[in-house]
Amino acid sequence: MMHASLRSALTIAVSLAVAGAAIVGLLPPYWVFLATAVLITAVALLSLGLVTGRTGMIALCQMSFAGVGAWTVGYLNVWNAPGGLVAWIVAGGLAAVPLGVAIGLPALRLRGINLAIVTLSFAVAFDTILATITYPGQTAFISVPRPGIVDSDEGYFVFVLIIYALIAICLAFVTRTRLGASWLAVRHSERAAAAHGVSVPMAKLSAFAISAFIAGISGGMLAGYLGTLVSENFSMMQSLLLFAVATMAGAHFVEGAIIGGILIVMFPELLRRLDLPQDIGNVIFAIGATQALSTGETISETFRRLARKLLPARPVAEASASREHLPPPVTRTAGTALAIKGLTVRYGSVVALEDVSFDVPAGTVVGLIGPNGAGKSTFIDAVAGFLDRYGGQVSVEGRPLEGIGAHRRARMGVRRTWQTTRIAPELTVGEYLNLAAGGLSEDQRVAVLAWIGCPSPQVPVAAVDAGTRRLLDVAGVVAARPAVVLLDEPGAGQSYDQALKLGERIAEIPALFGSAVLLVEHDMDLVRAACSQVRVLDFGRIIASGPPDAVLDNPVVKKAYLGHAAESEAA
Amino acid sequence: MNSLLTSAVAGLTAAGAYALLGVCAVFTYRLVAVVNFTGAAIGTAGTFVLITLYDAGFPLWPSVFAGIAGGTIAGVLIGFVMTTWFAESAASTKAAVTVALLVGLIAIGLRLTGGQHPHVMPDLFPGSAFRLAGVEVTIASALTIGLAVLFTLLADWFLNLTRTGLHLRALSERPMAAELLGVRVKLLSIFVWAVTGSFTAFALMIIAPQRSPNFMTLSLLVVPALAAALVGLFRSFWIALAGGIVLGVVEGLVSGFDGVSQYRGAIPFLVILGVLLWSQRGARWDDAR
Repeated sequence: MMHASLRSALTIAVSLAVAGAAIVGLLPPYWVFLATAVLITAVALLSLGLVTGRTGMIALCQMSFAGVGAWTVGYLNVWNAPGGLVAWIVAGGLAAVPLGVAIGLPALRLRGINLAIVTLSFAVAFDTILATITYPGQTAFISVPRPGIVDSDEGYFVFVLIIYALIAICLAFVTRTRLGASWLAVRHSERAAAAHGVSVPMAKLSAFAISAFIAGISGGMLAGYLGTLVSENFSMMQSLLLFAVATMAGAHFVEGAIIGGILIVMFPELLRRLDLPQDIGNVIFAIGATQALSTGETISETFRRLARKLLPARPVAEASASREHLPPPVTRTAGTALAIKGLTVRYGSVVALEDVSFDVPAGTVVGLIGPNGAGKSTFIDAVAGFLDRYGGQVSVEGRPLEGIGAHRRARMGVRRTWQTTRIAPELTVGEYLNLAAGGLSEDQRVAVLAWIGCPSPQVPVAAVDAGTRRLLDVAGVVAARPAVVLLDEPGAGQSYDQALKLGERIAEIPALFGSAVLLVEHDMDLVRAACSQVRVLDFGRIIASGPPDAVLDNPVVKKAYLGHAAESEAA
Repeated sequence: MNSLLTSAVAGLTAAGAYALLGVCAVFTYRLVAVVNFTGAAIGTAGTFVLITLYDAGFPLWPSVFAGIAGGTIAGVLIGFVMTTWFAESAASTKAAVTVALLVGLIAIGLRLTGGQHPHVMPDLFPGSAFRLAGVEVTIASALTIGLAVLFTLLADWFLNLTRTGLHLRALSERPMAAELLGVRVKLLSIFVWAVTGSFTAFALMIIAPQRSPNFMTLSLLVVPALAAALVGLFRSFWIALAGGIVLGVVEGLVSGFDGVSQYRGAIPFLVILGVLLWSQRGARWDDAR
C-alpha cells in the first residue's frame, strides 16, 4: 500500500516537474501567466473533486470557501501579520474549515441533495456579504505582495506548481488510507460503508472539511496572483461553473483537475481570440457535464480507459501465501456469540419476521435457510442495525444492541456481507481489505486473500469478476475478526466446485479467525459443508432447527421449499 | 409598529412567488423525483419572452400568454432531457444534471437578453387590492399568494385523489415498474414539467418588476424556492406554501431595517440551516441504497 502511494506520488512529482520546466522554458511570459491561473483553478477543482467525484456529494459553494481564503490573506496583509504569503495562504485555508464544518454538519446526516441546497444558498448569502465589503487594502491601494524569490510571473508559477504538487501528493496518500477508501465506499453505497464500521456522517464531513481547506488555499494563491480581488472572482456563478467543469473533467483525478483548469482558463481565451462571445464556454461545460453524468464517465476516466487499452492487459494474479501469515484469531469466551430473542419485524400490515429466537454459539457456523421471501435478509438487516425499528432483543457477546446504529454495531462485533456485492470498483483489492479490516500487515492481507482464493492486493476491484468479489466480501468481514459474521448468500454466482470449496473455508472461520458465523444460503451442499446447525425460516417463523442432514430431511422443510408436490410425495 | 407592518406587507408579493416556486419544487420532486435547480430559470425564460415581445411593441396580454407558453416549452425541454437520459438515475445524479443545466440556461439566457443590463418589465397588476390595518396590499401580492394557494390545492387534489396522480406517484418511486404496469411514463413526466413551467413563468412575471429583471437574478430565485420546499421536507405542499410565505415576509421585514437590509439574500441560507438542524435529529437510511 505504502509502495503504491509512493509510486503514484513520485509519478505526480516527476510529471509535474517536467511539465512545469517545459512551460517556464518554452512558453512566452503571457502563457506562463495563464498557466498559473490554470493551476490555481486546478487546486480549486481538486478540492471539489474530493467532495463531488470521490465522495459523491454535490457542493456548490467552493468559490465561497476560496473567497474566505482570499479575504483572510488580504486582512493578514493589511495587518502586516508575520509569516508572509505562505503562512497567510495556509491560514486562509484553515479559516475556511470551520465554515465548511458548520455548513456540512447539519446537511450531511441524510441525503446528499441537502448539501447541494445548503451550499447553493450559502454561495448566494456569501455573495451578498462580499458585495458589501471591498477587498482589504483596496481603497488604500495596498496589494498582496509576493515573497522576493517568487515575485516574477515565472517564479510565482513555480510556487503555485509546487503547492499543486504538494496537495496532489497529499491527496494521493490520503486516498489510499482507510479514510480515503471510506469516501469512495460512501459514494458507492452508504449502507455498505456503515457495515464496515465507517461512520457515514464523519466520512462525508471529513471530505467536506478537507475540501474547504484546499479551496481556501486556492483563494489565497489567487490573492497573491492578482494582488487585489473583487467579489466577482468568487461569485456563486463561479462555484456553479466549477461544479460543471469538475463533473465534466473528473476533478478527483490529478490530470482531471488540470484538464478542468485548462478548460476554465483557456476556453474563454480561445473564444476571445476567435472573436466569439465567451459565455459559449459555459454552455459547452453544461452540455459536457450532462454528457458525463449520462454516460457515468468523465474526461479523465475516458483517457484512463483508452490508456489501459494501449497497455498490454496484466493477468489477474491470484494471491499466494501460506496460512502461517493469517492474522491471529481473537480469543473469545465460550458461550453465546449472538443471541436473538423474540425478533419481530413488520412492514405496515405485512409481518416479515415473527418472534424469531435462537442463539449462535461462539466457535460455530449456524445456517439460516428458507425459501425466497422467508425473511432471511430482513433478519440480517435487523441484526446489523439497518432497520429503523424491530421488536425483540439482539445481543452480541451479552451486550444488547438496541438503539445502536449500524456502524457502531459493526465496530462492536457484528459484521455482514450483502446479497449483491457493494464493493466500490475504484478501489484495489488491498484497499478494500484495508477498509473492511484496518491494521493488518501486508503479509496478513495477502494470506487472507490467498486463503479464500482472491487476487493479490494491487489488483483493481474493477478487474475482479462478480463471483470472486463475493469471496472478497467474505475475506473483508472475517479479516476484521468480529464476534459474529453474517454472510448473506456468499455462494450465489459460484460454480459447484467453488461453492464446495467456499463451504470448507466458511467451516474454518471459527477456528482460524475466532468469529462465529451465521450463514444465509440457498446452496444446500454449501450449507452441509459449512454448518453444524441449521435453522429454517418460512413466512417469518422458525419452522425447524437441528443438524443439517436431519433438518433437510424434515418433511415440513421440504414442503416449505418445494410446495405441495413434495408434501404428497413425502406422504 | 405600523412601519413594521408596512415592511412585512411589502414582502407579500415575493412571499407568494416563493411559495408558488416552493410548491412547484415539491410537486416536481414528488412526481418525477428530481430536486430541480432549474425551476426558476424555466420560469425566467417565459418571463423574458414576455419582456422581449413587449419591448418590440406587442400588446401586453398576448405577450403574457406567449410568455407562459415560453415557460411551458422551456419546462418541456428540460423535462425531455431528464426523462430521456436520466429517468433511472439516482436522485443525486438528477440534481447534479439540473445544476449543470442551470449553468447552461443562465449563460444562454444572459446572451439572448443582453447580459445584466436591466430591462423594462411591465407591471402586470398595478394598484392596490385592499387595505390591511391601514397598509395597502397590492393586487400583485394578493394574486401571487392566491395563485400559490390555488396551485397547492390543485397539487394536493391531483396527487391524492386522481388516478393519474396515483400513477405519477408510483412512477417517481419506480419508473420501470410503472412502465410495466402500462403507465405512459414519459408523457406523464413531461406533463409535470410543462405544468410547473407554466405556473412558474406566470409567478415570475408578477414578481419581476420588484427585482432587477435580469436573467441571472431571476433564475436564482430557485434558492428561496428550495428553502421553502425544504421546510416542507419535499413532501408537504401546505408546509412548503407556509414556508415560502414566511420567507417572503421575513425578507420584507428585514428590508425595513437599514443596517441589515443589504444582507437579506442570506435569509434563505439561515432558514435552510435551521430546518436541517431541526429535521435531522434522527438519522435514517436512504431507501435507494
